[in-house]
Amino acid sequence: MSETKTSASTIGRQIINKYPDVQSQPLEDNKIELIVPGEKIRDVITMIDELLDDALPESAFGIDLENDQYNLIYIFWSYTNRILLQLRVALEGEKPEIDSVCDIFPGFEWHEREAREMFGIEFRNHPDPRLLLLPDELDGAYPMRKRFKTDQSRLQETGIKPPKPRPKPGGEDK
Amino acid sequence: MSPDILEDAMELWFGPQHVSAHGWAAKLTLVGDYVVECDPNAGYFHRSAEKVLEFKNFRQGALVLERMCMLEAFLAEYPYVAAVEKLAEIEVPERAKIMRTIMMELSRLHSVQFWWGQFNAELGFFTMALWPWVDREYTLDAFEELTGSRHTVSYASPGGVKYDFTDKVLTQINRAVNRFEDRLPKFRDMQMGSPTFRARTKDIGLYDVKQGLKWGLSGPPIKACGVPMDLRKDDPDPNLAYDMVDWEVPIIENSEHPGQSDALDRMEQRFKEAEVAVEIIKQLLPQLPDSGPIINPKARGKANRLPEGEAYGRVEGARGITTLWLKTQEKAQTAYRAKIRGPCIASYYALKDLVPGAKFADFIVIFGSLDPYPGWWDR
Repeated sequence: MSETKTSASTIGRQIINKYPDVQSQPLEDNKIELIVPGEKIRDVITMIDELLDDALPESAFGIDLENDQYNLIYIFWSYTNRILLQLRVALEGEKPEIDSVCDIFPGFEWHEREAREMFGIEFRNHPDPRLLLLPDELDGAYPMRKRFKTDQSRLQETGIKPPKPRPKPGGEDK
Repeated sequence: MSPDILEDAMELWFGPQHVSAHGWAAKLTLVGDYVVECDPNAGYFHRSAEKVLEFKNFRQGALVLERMCMLEAFLAEYPYVAAVEKLAEIEVPERAKIMRTIMMELSRLHSVQFWWGQFNAELGFFTMALWPWVDREYTLDAFEELTGSRHTVSYASPGGVKYDFTDKVLTQINRAVNRFEDRLPKFRDMQMGSPTFRARTKDIGLYDVKQGLKWGLSGPPIKACGVPMDLRKDDPDPNLAYDMVDWEVPIIENSEHPGQSDALDRMEQRFKEAEVAVEIIKQLLPQLPDSGPIINPKARGKANRLPEGEAYGRVEGARGITTLWLKTQEKAQTAYRAKIRGPCIASYYALKDLVPGAKFADFIVIFGSLDPYPGWWDR
């Protein structure tokens, strides 16, 4: 583990110096957000791996911003430096694509599988692009997208019978 | 591996019907007595909590969260409450901060007590399964006295806590803590002193800290490698009272394999975790003011509608870093996106690399020592 402590803004500056397309935005305390173009994600995450040797791949997930706009967020935590790094990648299109980073941080493998099945974000070169949580019949339905209906209209699609109406309190009238 | 070894290979599903596999199943490929491939499967416990949270208001949300992991219900619901408080900028009274911290450590104690029983039952060591579960009843009695519920406590509310500590609650907490302290030396003797148990766990499931961090492990599985990574020290939530206590992050430094941990280290780590939890409770109880508000009266109104923004609530759970990432829109009554990060998604994933090469009988030792709970990866 590295002894020399660094700060979130130093890490942010080092990354931006090498990749000027990246933008930064400080969050509270020792936390920083980097807005990374999709094609640079592997370079930036490789650099994080080199700069912070105790980087923990904490979380990675998608957000549906509607109208085919998506955000993909990666969160890293370094406990020796107490830095929280949040990377944000803006993606668009019906089937957005991005490079997989799970060979650099294996901890992201399942997070990527989940983002793929829930949001329809394709990860290029992912070693195991199976469904993680969903049953096979929801493959391609992308249930975490905002346009996925969760109301009664889903019943016709699935063939499940609608629930019986609740009995009135006090029993039924004879 | 060469293909001719795989000719004799047998595929075996461990779970979901197996009693140890409560809500998960791993496909093991066995050659003789050795596991050559492990494919942990997720999805048996999936209740789409993240989608459900998009339809629940900010006071209801915590109730969904605590059902992720009933063994650390309060630790599971807290990140949500913390994120809501950050977004709405709600102040929390001093007394509620202490109460929350005490409840958090009691939750941790309960989780460890349950884990002892479960792990030992899986290894066929039934005395050590039932004895901690007797003590666990005392902890649950304290929960019941305080909140009316033994597992899903739903104690925290944005702006404070829901119920005050009465004299009877304090008696119950003291009883649970004293009972634990009385029995701890016996447990330590019985567990760590047992040659059978040591033989089953020593050098099993060995990994080093760098590898563990790459998988995303946190909490006891990392602290057992001798690394003091603990959010209670590193990034404490401002509405908790850890700064009022003098304590050290519990770690295991094993001179036989520095920077690495095996199942025995992780077992010992759980003893220390529970000890430190009790130490924190005992230091906080005398500091609890006799009277004062337990909830910010403005919180209810503020949590009704949240401003647009993003917040990240984090807490050191009993199994590792537990977080909730929350995004809201202007005047939101419900979350736009809520992402739950459970600690066990990493420890269950780690089985894929950790188990191959181990004997089949050691599979459950490796699994149990990491303490994954299916609610955390399925959500």
